Amino acid sequence: MSEIWTQRILSFSRSPSRFLSGTTAEGFLAELLRELRDDRATYSLKVLLLSPLCESPSLLCLSDLLGEETALELMSVFNQCPPKSVQFRCHLLLALTSVLVCTSCVNNRSRASQDFLDLLLQISQDSNDLHGDVALRATACDCLREMEACSPGLLSQRLELLGGLRQRETSRLHQAYAGLHTLVLRNAVYQLTQETGAGAEHLKALLGGNTSVAWEAELDLLNSKDDSAVLSSLIRGPMGSVPTLQTGPDCKELRAVLSSLLEESYLLTPLSQAALLHRLTEVVAMVPGVSPAVFRAQLLRLLGTSEVCLFHSTLLMKSAFTDSLFSVEDEAFLLQRLVVLSQHPLLSPPEKLFYIDCILSFPENRPIGCGDDALPVLLTPRLASVLVPTVFNDSATLLARLHLLCLVYLEEEDEGEEEGRGLGYLYDHLTSLLRIVDNGGSREIVVTFFRAAFLFLSYFFPVERFSHSLMEELCSLYLRHTHLAPHFINLADHIQEQLSESNWATEFLKALQGAITDAELTSKDLSWHLKMLTRVAEEGEIKQQSTVNFLSHIITSSSLCVKGDWRLGNFLLGVCRRLLVHPGLDALLIPLADVLQHLACRYGDTDIRDHARLYYTLLTTLSKDKLAGVLSQGYGEGGGQAKKRTFSCIVAESEGLTSLLTVHRAKTIILKLVEEPQTETGSGLNQNEDNPEEVSVALGQYRAQFDVPGFASEIPLNYQLTHSEIADSCFDQLFSIRLHFSLTDDHYEPLGDVSVPCVFRERPPPSVKLRLKPRRPQPTSLHASAIFTTQDGLSWLTDLPDVHVAFQQTFLPLPAPETWGRGGRLSLFDGLWDEMSREEPTGGATSLFCCQLQEEALKTLVEKHFLPYLVSDQSDKEEIKVLFFLPPQSHLLMRIRSEETVHFNVATDNWQLLPHINSYLLTLTGRHTHLTAY
Amino acid sequence: MSVRALWIISHEKGEHLSLRFARRFATVEHRAKILAGSSYTAVPEDNTVLQLLITELGLSDPDKPFVALRDDCLYRQRSPALELRVDSPGKGMLWPVLAISHGPITLACLPLVDAPAEPRPALASLLSVSQGLTLLAGLQTFLLGSGSKPDIEVLASRLAMLPSVLLQVCPLGTPLDVPLPGAPSTPTVPTPAENQKQPAWKTGLHRGRAAVNVAIIETVRSMQYGKRSRQDLWDVYGTVTCKCEVEGVLPNVMVTLTLPPNGSPLQDILVHPCVTSLDSSILTASSVDNFDGSAFSGPYKFPFSPPLEPFRLCSYTSQVPVPPILGSYQLKEEETQLRVSVTLKLHESVKNSFEYCEAHLPFFNRDQFGVVDVKVSSGQLDVSKEKNLLIWGLGQKFPKSREVTMEGKISFSGPTPGPIDPLCTELTAYIKLYFKVPDMTLSGCSVDQHSVQVYSSSKQRIITSRELQSKEYFIWNSTGSAPVSSGQMML
Repeated sequence: MSEIWTQRILSFSRSPSRFLSGTTAEGFLAELLRELRDDRATYSLKVLLLSPLCESPSLLCLSDLLGEETALELMSVFNQCPPKSVQFRCHLLLALTSVLVCTSCVNNRSRASQDFLDLLLQISQDSNDLHGDVALRATACDCLREMEACSPGLLSQRLELLGGLRQRETSRLHQAYAGLHTLVLRNAVYQLTQETGAGAEHLKALLGGNTSVAWEAELDLLNSKDDSAVLSSLIRGPMGSVPTLQTGPDCKELRAVLSSLLEESYLLTPLSQAALLHRLTEVVAMVPGVSPAVFRAQLLRLLGTSEVCLFHSTLLMKSAFTDSLFSVEDEAFLLQRLVVLSQHPLLSPPEKLFYIDCILSFPENRPIGCGDDALPVLLTPRLASVLVPTVFNDSATLLARLHLLCLVYLEEEDEGEEEGRGLGYLYDHLTSLLRIVDNGGSREIVVTFFRAAFLFLSYFFPVERFSHSLMEELCSLYLRHTHLAPHFINLADHIQEQLSESNWATEFLKALQGAITDAELTSKDLSWHLKMLTRVAEEGEIKQQSTVNFLSHIITSSSLCVKGDWRLGNFLLGVCRRLLVHPGLDALLIPLADVLQHLACRYGDTDIRDHARLYYTLLTTLSKDKLAGVLSQGYGEGGGQAKKRTFSCIVAESEGLTSLLTVHRAKTIILKLVEEPQTETGSGLNQNEDNPEEVSVALGQYRAQFDVPGFASEIPLNYQLTHSEIADSCFDQLFSIRLHFSLTDDHYEPLGDVSVPCVFRERPPPSVKLRLKPRRPQPTSLHASAIFTTQDGLSWLTDLPDVHVAFQQTFLPLPAPETWGRGGRLSLFDGLWDEMSREEPTGGATSLFCCQLQEEALKTLVEKHFLPYLVSDQSDKEEIKVLFFLPPQSHLLMRIRSEETVHFNVATDNWQLLPHINSYLLTLTGRHTHLTAY
Repeated sequence: MSVRALWIISHEKGEHLSLRFARRFATVEHRAKILAGSSYTAVPEDNTVLQLLITELGLSDPDKPFVALRDDCLYRQRSPALELRVDSPGKGMLWPVLAISHGPITLACLPLVDAPAEPRPALASLLSVSQGLTLLAGLQTFLLGSGSKPDIEVLASRLAMLPSVLLQVCPLGTPLDVPLPGAPSTPTVPTPAENQKQPAWKTGLHRGRAAVNVAIIETVRSMQYGKRSRQDLWDVYGTVTCKCEVEGVLPNVMVTLTLPPNGSPLQDILVHPCVTSLDSSILTASSVDNFDGSAFSGPYKFPFSPPLEPFRLCSYTSQVPVPPILGSYQLKEEETQLRVSVTLKLHESVKNSFEYCEAHLPFFNRDQFGVVDVKVSSGQLDVSKEKNLLIWGLGQKFPKSREVTMEGKISFSGPTPGPIDPLCTELTAYIKLYFKVPDMTLSGCSVDQHSVQVYSSSKQRIITSRELQSKEYFIWNSTGSAPVSSGQMML
């Protein structure tokens, strides 16, 4: 059993959505809770069972009410759990916290959350410490802290109690109390800042636990609209503003609490210490009456620390208090420290990167500029020089350092100082990276180099001597490593996009064109060259004569045409097609026509010849404007769906052609399957009744039918295939739709594909019949996809929304022999019922489901939902007998009696169906019911 | 100050990807939802996160030379925080995802952004980021140890312990502590009532004889070019590790570091959080500052209250005037062979007594060795099995003259090509030195056994030690071009 559960929990956490598609959230939750109550399950298993509730409570508790019920259930498990299973009890507390917080029970102060709060407070005050209660107390404190964090102000009234607990505790637990105390203090002070007219008196009363003061009634949970404000950190650099509480200089009590917390901060772990310091920084920032100097005693210790989070909290302190706590010398020292830490040999790379980032947003006492990447004034090129990138750095470090140094030298350039050696160094560094790429550096180095080049250019493209020489270096690099073409194109694209004021990209592409057309040709480079020239031809400003000459040269002087490679031919046509829409076409007319004619006559591949001929015809017969008009349709990029099957579509060369040949993936959902409305089917009972006399004979006759393979093994499901709500006119008419289904579990046999001739938006939707063959009667989901053709001849692949097969959809009417009338069915019903209610372990089970229903409501319910499955006569008011047959061989029988409440007696030969029928009945009858299983 | 989710994955260069551990913190997610408002992006299911993460780390599709999503030159990341673009259904960004890798294991977490989501807050304004880094580093040490090679079996057993470890160090997504390396800490029974509070970082109490062990390890790095145009570089950094077994809840210990007269001051001192107070003069000297001869040069006092486990009390850097071993390396291409000439000089201030000393001469981008005709004035020369590396073992001592040489010729005519390195082409080549000298430091820094003070009633045993080791100690061929390793010398 435990192994099955381990597997189930694992598959739940891997993909909750997938897991829940095979069952119901309610059902799974009920199973979890039942197993948690089971005495036979080990505690280590039970800890595991809690993990879905800890990690995804909102997926399981779909309503606040359900959350409340689950919490009550868990609390009763907690109360019955022996004290010695500490781990399990701790996890229970965590699960309870998660459930109550995430279903907003805590925010609404529901009964369960109040009870739980009392329980936590009681645990946290119980210092008897029998049975390793230390761990339990620690967990309880953390739960309280988390609840306060999620519902700020929850514990404001307990501030004094918590302070007392903290002070008395001498074991390691004082850390948990300190964390809790500071958070509650911070939230309480924040609350006061939001009260108009609150002042020193209120603060004093709050700290003294004096609840008789008048404003007490006003203090309540903060309005939900302020939630995100109170949850946010208050220390937000120079732009942030902090709400303040005017107290005057007299806040003795607060000062006493602060200094006691700070004095003991040394005893906390670095992580908790950093959090505590940050919370206290917020408190002091909110209360101007307390001087930031309270932190002074801790500062030296913090400035020298090797712990990243402690140093960080010091920086945040500086951001909050600037020169009221940190002198000019301190500021210089802190920056120096940051530079040291950014390249310290003993720190890990992520820590160093973080420190570099801290330099970029260094909290200055008197910031001059604000916004992104304003370098601190004190960061001189000399100081920054220890951070110059080198080839020994890892990629991330290299880029981070390069970025920082670019900013440093950019300022230097701006200030018009003599052109710094620094910039020269950065350029040298870039070229040494280039050398490594040139010498066959790894993929990572290649990517890093192009990123570095982009970064460098984006800052220094106006410095011509560097940007120009980089261009030359890149060109010669390309000629040696043509396979890097995608990187070069990517670089050119981004430079063009990001630096619209520069024409570097165009110049670069022009230089590449020159390099390619002048170069000695090797066959392996040709396809890359053609790709590159296609990109170059997109630039209207670049003259294309040399490209055409190059094309003409390669097709006439090499064996290219004889070999007739289809791919290369397409690359060639790709360049030609771009040239056809180039603004400088007039000058190219004759040589380009020659190239096309040559291809049309000599190329070794028919397809290429055909295309070339077409281009040739277009070029020589159409005016330039018409040509552009015809061809530009082929470049309907993005949507690409508005195309009609017209002349231009045939024209489209490689791109258009491949788009015809490939299956496109639709970005939106285009089709969906909806359940077909039920049509009334008469129960059509045989009038010539030939009913078996005895129950055993009836059972025998009935069962004999199943010897025939495939008998009553399929569930027919009727759907309609319609358009989804998203209207896109090019998908209005769809042809040759082929639907493909894949299973999400192994409860069913795989399904074959289904073909539908066409779906038109304006016509009634075609119906689709699915024949599901269950292995086990379970609800399921099917992934569905469709391939179809649109009017313009393109093929598309689209996903359909998952098809959910509900439990009730797996029901079939009783497959009784056709000759039987009602009598036979009734005796079969009784026979089956008797078998299922026997004590023997046959896998059968019975249960009872009760609910309040008016007679009329029951009648409608039966007529609406149970009619096809009714065994008893409809006029029989005494007892309604319903039989659901679930292929392959399961039965669910119900006797429905109406007394004070309506009793649904349920019997089945498959106990695993009980949770499903329970949820089904629940949904039919509403919530105020329960199922009692025997 | 919390994390929304935590993942541990293993992979081999982007392949055989598997999720070893994942934990989501529902209540923190609840807060994230409130904080981010309309720009909230839910954490997708694990498989999706995994794929996005591996793409951002540049490890996806290892067999494809260019993938736009992975290799785009527009580098948006400001490391160490990655940005994961979540596609449908909940389009949006997951930021800031922190990731640290060690060998095949990558740990990642998503800290809570406790600030308005728009405009994106600075990384440095989020305390949860540094806390996340600390948590990840702590978990990494716990899982893999601090050694270089992770042990698969240890890893598996540690992963199994993680749920109970997290219950203690990060039960609800707010990190409280990092796990102790080694066995998970079990809460010990608290001591009978005392007035002194027990530090949260101290898992128990020591009983028995007091013992304090203080070890200084200095590491020297160097880049020597042997050229007029380029200055040689070397630097030294030291760590002081302690193991203290002292009775009491919060015992006081003081370690004092001293320098010889004229010793250059210790710089960039970083201390362990258990150090109770610091004198401001200790922190003033910095390696990035102008060297100030009048700076404070000790004694450096570190009062602290020790945790139970060994810890790094402090670290420092030092600027020593000379490198311990000065080398020169010259290669000359002669038709079919390479003429090699090496000289290594041990500085007179360095104790001539090594635990080991070896020079490695690798040769890249060439065929394997053919004939190796090389003589050394001292020590022993070995050729590696792969025939592309000379190993010159210098033993425990340099000769009296403190100078050793190597002369000779190597031809490269082996049947198969040797290893490739894009950096070391043509005459760009180096010697790498590996050595360790016990009982000395380059900076002269030392801890006197009698200066360690333990304020405790019982008698105590105090052991101090020191040693010098090399790391990244390169001597470049002076006839070839060598890569720049630091900008300082250029500027």
